[in-house]
Amino acid sequence: MAVTSVVLRDPAHRVARRAPLMWAAGGLVRSGVGVGLLLLVSDAWHWFPMPAAAWVGYAVVAACYCVAMPVLRYRLHRWETSAGAVYTQTGWLARERRVAPMSRVQTVDVSQDPISRLLGLATVTVTTASSRGPLQIAGLARPVADDLVAELARRAEALVGDAT
Amino acid sequence: MTDEPTSPTVTEDPLVADAQWRRLDLRMLLVHPVNEVLRYLPALVGVFLLGRSLDGDRWWHLAAVGVPVVVGVLRFVTTSYRITGGQLQLRRGMVRRAELTARLDRIRTVELTSSLIHRMLGLAKVEIGTAGSVAGGGERLRLDALPRRQAQALRAALLHRSPSAAGAPDAGSLPAGEPGAARGAAPAAATPASDGGGPEASVGSGVEVPVGAGPGPGPGGDDQVLLRLDPRWVRFAPLTTAGLVVAAAVAGASSQFAGPMVGDLIDGGLFRPGSAPAGLLIAGAVLAVVLAVSLLALLGYLLNYWGLTLSRDRAGRSLHVVRGLLTSRETSIEIARLRGVEYHEPLGLRLAGGARLDAIVTGLSRRDAGSAPVVPPAPREVADRLGAVVLGEIGPAGAPLSMTLTGHGPRAVRRRYQRALAAAAVLAAGWAIAVLLAGWTAWLLPVGLLPWLVAVPLAADRARRLGHALTPEYLVTRAHSLRGRRVVLLRRGIIGWNVRQTVFQRRAGLVTLTATTAAGKQGYRLHDVPEPDATALADHATPGLLTPFLVTVGD
Repeated sequence: MAVTSVVLRDPAHRVARRAPLMWAAGGLVRSGVGVGLLLLVSDAWHWFPMPAAAWVGYAVVAACYCVAMPVLRYRLHRWETSAGAVYTQTGWLARERRVAPMSRVQTVDVSQDPISRLLGLATVTVTTASSRGPLQIAGLARPVADDLVAELARRAEALVGDAT
Repeated sequence: MTDEPTSPTVTEDPLVADAQWRRLDLRMLLVHPVNEVLRYLPALVGVFLLGRSLDGDRWWHLAAVGVPVVVGVLRFVTTSYRITGGQLQLRRGMVRRAELTARLDRIRTVELTSSLIHRMLGLAKVEIGTAGSVAGGGERLRLDALPRRQAQALRAALLHRSPSAAGAPDAGSLPAGEPGAARGAAPAAATPASDGGGPEASVGSGVEVPVGAGPGPGPGGDDQVLLRLDPRWVRFAPLTTAGLVVAAAVAGASSQFAGPMVGDLIDGGLFRPGSAPAGLLIAGAVLAVVLAVSLLALLGYLLNYWGLTLSRDRAGRSLHVVRGLLTSRETSIEIARLRGVEYHEPLGLRLAGGARLDAIVTGLSRRDAGSAPVVPPAPREVADRLGAVVLGEIGPAGAPLSMTLTGHGPRAVRRRYQRALAAAAVLAAGWAIAVLLAGWTAWLLPVGLLPWLVAVPLAADRARRLGHALTPEYLVTRAHSLRGRRVVLLRRGIIGWNVRQTVFQRRAGLVTLTATTAAGKQGYRLHDVPEPDATALADHATPGLLTPFLVTVGD
């Protein structure tokens, strides 16, 4: 007996191919901060010793993180807009999907941190009247992001409402 | 009295007539310095100690007192507001000038708060919440402070400025008000509030002005009182979550010195046969802590809820909650902004047959997390009755609070047990490590098994309470054992969905569904719903929204 069920599918569009580079760079920065903290705690404050083996272990974990996290993120991060809604999927360990109706969209922002600017990427954030509900699409190519913002602005304009 | 609002013209509508900048009440010159001194108290203490050691340089002392006073005066002088062109504008700041603006038609809630000082001077702080002010992190407009009556008149005028506009998105759910009566109803602003101090039980001519302040206020005008605090309900205070938090804080603080003491007792042979006095000592200490916590909880309950009165205004457009022993708080909940109720029955309260009720409202302050307490911890029947009354304002009342809910299935139940047992295992392991590291007797190791005894019934209760339902008007969810919460959310208040699936949930085919909303906690969760059920639920609750993104799969 074929039991079928209706579920949400993945959103249609992937983010830019360069996006994993952005996440990997972020991972490297975080790993570097970790090294700094470990040096501080072990060498400067002498809380516990860091033998060479521990450093090697840390390096392996950090390297795995810097490789696996961007790959998993790239596989999950997707987005799509329809006439009436915005739909995003994010995460790397947990998967989070968010849907917001176009009529409830309050603001659409584009932001670029230094790394993403270097790579020509941008993050689009769509907020609704609920602080639990901002939809974020990270790692879009700048032109795609600009087009998306223009499109969302145009669609949201057509639906003027209270948004609460 | 330079800054008394220039409104001898009684009939004027304060909202359209007055485009000039107004100051706050002059009596704030008394309040501000006191507040500033309190704020800089730590610094002041430091200065005085330093001054003493510096061998009596009086200049320091003068500066220490003078600066806060000057700051207070400057604060008063630099703050002004006006209502013009459909906007409320507030200017403030000494160094960094800021001008805040709120469109009148975006104003959602107006709260009046009076601290003890305010009350002695007959003042009230007006806090104005606008649509999106919580979500966008926008600042709330705060007028600190106006004469009490003027504040009440301002609130009435702001909230009921234009009944048709306020009700527009929800047309049909509102009883037809009397626009004419409401519009002309803010003459109280004209009375220069000179009767300083004392709870003003009667509110004079303001038709819309609901209730006075202070303990046991009477209803103003024809307001219908829905609930008055019964002082006997204070017995529920120690059973609330707040009581438990206080208990945890006390326990944490006392463990600082109790820890070594317990260690000494154990080393001193507490657990040898025949050491009854030490056992008694511990029992006594526990009893003392319980008593102290209960007392604190009682005090907190009284401070918060004393004189609580819930009333519905004459035109049926808003609910008013007045409460507070020292600081009195008046919250107006515009019924058009009401999105549902949170029914809280944390474990302790539930066992004692009690519950409390919050209203889910858009535009309330972040501090209150958007929920206005409607019923304090009280007998369950009271919370049930008021829940039906409040829901009755926005839709059919009967079912949502009592209906049977759909469970989340065996896999969700299994997860409740897994999580509870895992947490207990972590606690047991932690305890074992602590015992071994501290070198206590191995006889203490079995204590680590106690969490397991709690975990099983807790998981059972959590699993039993997990549930949801969808009525034509509401989304109902229930979860948690200790916090025990049932949420009834208006379906048209839902403005989006978050569907989260962790790695563990993926294996069980479950998701956590969050209905986002502009009101209350901004989002309400349904834990561990089977994925197809969650999708179907969200699809039904907001027809059409998910349709383009759905796909049929073989199971």
